[in-house]
Amino acid sequence: MGVTCVCGVPVLEGKSVQQTVDMLHKKLEQLGAVKQGSFCVDCETYHATGTVSGQPSKLLYVMHNSETPLSCLALFEGGPCLIADANFDVLMVKLKSHFQNAKGHKVECRGSRYRYCDFLIKVGTVTMSSSARGISVEVEYCPCVVPGDCWNLMKEFMQSFLGPSVPELPSAFATKPEGLFAPADCVDTMTQYLELFNKLRKLQIQGSNVR
Amino acid sequence: MEAPPVTVMPVTGGTINMMEYLLQGSVLDQALESLLHRLRGLCDNMEPETFTDHELVYLLKGQQGNPFILRARRSLSHPTAPWHLRYLGQPEVGDKSRHALVRNCVDVAASHSLPEFLNEMGFRMDHEFVANGHIFRKGAMKIVVSKLSRILVPGNTENTERLSLSYLVELSVLAPAGQDTVSEDMRNFAEQLKPLVQLEKIDPSKQRH
Repeated sequence: MGVTCVCGVPVLEGKSVQQTVDMLHKKLEQLGAVKQGSFCVDCETYHATGTVSGQPSKLLYVMHNSETPLSCLALFEGGPCLIADANFDVLMVKLKSHFQNAKGHKVECRGSRYRYCDFLIKVGTVTMSSSARGISVEVEYCPCVVPGDCWNLMKEFMQSFLGPSVPELPSAFATKPEGLFAPADCVDTMTQYLELFNKLRKLQIQGSNVR
Repeated sequence: MEAPPVTVMPVTGGTINMMEYLLQGSVLDQALESLLHRLRGLCDNMEPETFTDHELVYLLKGQQGNPFILRARRSLSHPTAPWHLRYLGQPEVGDKSRHALVRNCVDVAASHSLPEFLNEMGFRMDHEFVANGHIFRKGAMKIVVSKLSRILVPGNTENTERLSLSYLVELSVLAPAGQDTVSEDMRNFAEQLKPLVQLEKIDPSKQRH
């Protein structure tokens, strides 16, 4: 995997989530990007049941990415993460008396996958409890694994179709020392998705109007 | 750069429950060579495979009931290979005529952050040991002949002490639930190993601690 950046895109004024997604697709196609199938990233939340009362229960996130269909990523926010094969989900079912699945918290992000030269762009609709909550854009620059070397290029590319909604350097890269390679696995990408999902979840709770 | 297929994976109600069928026995050190010789003859023709593994057993104490046990195993001879996490359920009771011990089994391959991650989940390591020996296959059957060693200093796999003067012999098959011919085949194979080793169904819950 190359350096990957995931960001949220605000819904356009006066338009619906679907309309904004369609506009992004149109801009990408105008640039010359080619549609190549679809993708899906999802995240399930588990609460640890055995914690001492009074302390907030630890949240365990289990995420899947269609780019790596045989794997799943389990992580504690700000804590250690584990890359495991698909059987980890079966293990979580066995652990259901210790870790409860917060079914209402399942987040899914589905959409189309576009290829433009060395870039892979995925525009997805983020849904929680089957209501669309926001839009995600994932941009991967495949040939490079060092964030410092290609961030400016990626930012310029994103400006060409995202306009003013271009994000800053993701915190996942900012916290790495100078010149460190993005690891070959999906951890950095998935942590960015998790950050986005949590941000979108909090927005809805605050009563923000996202159609 | 083709997109991998997007599939919806059923987790509950659609998974194949894998069961482990197991027969165990042991041989004294002196009898090892004869046993290996017989196994080489009976089993599938392949390069003799030896292994050295480090296994850690983790417990998660819940509010009630028995603690949840997970076994994390890594290869000391292939240090870059993934960790192998295994859950074994309670042995299935009922059919006394079934020749092998049958229990639900979930195997997960995991990255090297496994011990740290298990600790974060609340698991605590109960004990660890080093196993080394030989592995053979015959069709779906796996025969493992291993010597178990106690780890004297936690985490130090160099300094170990053999637990006994014998080798543990295990004959196992991983198959979906409901396949009754498996234990028959296992029993037939175990017959061929007599009298070198007596492979039996040993119920772990009947062991006195």
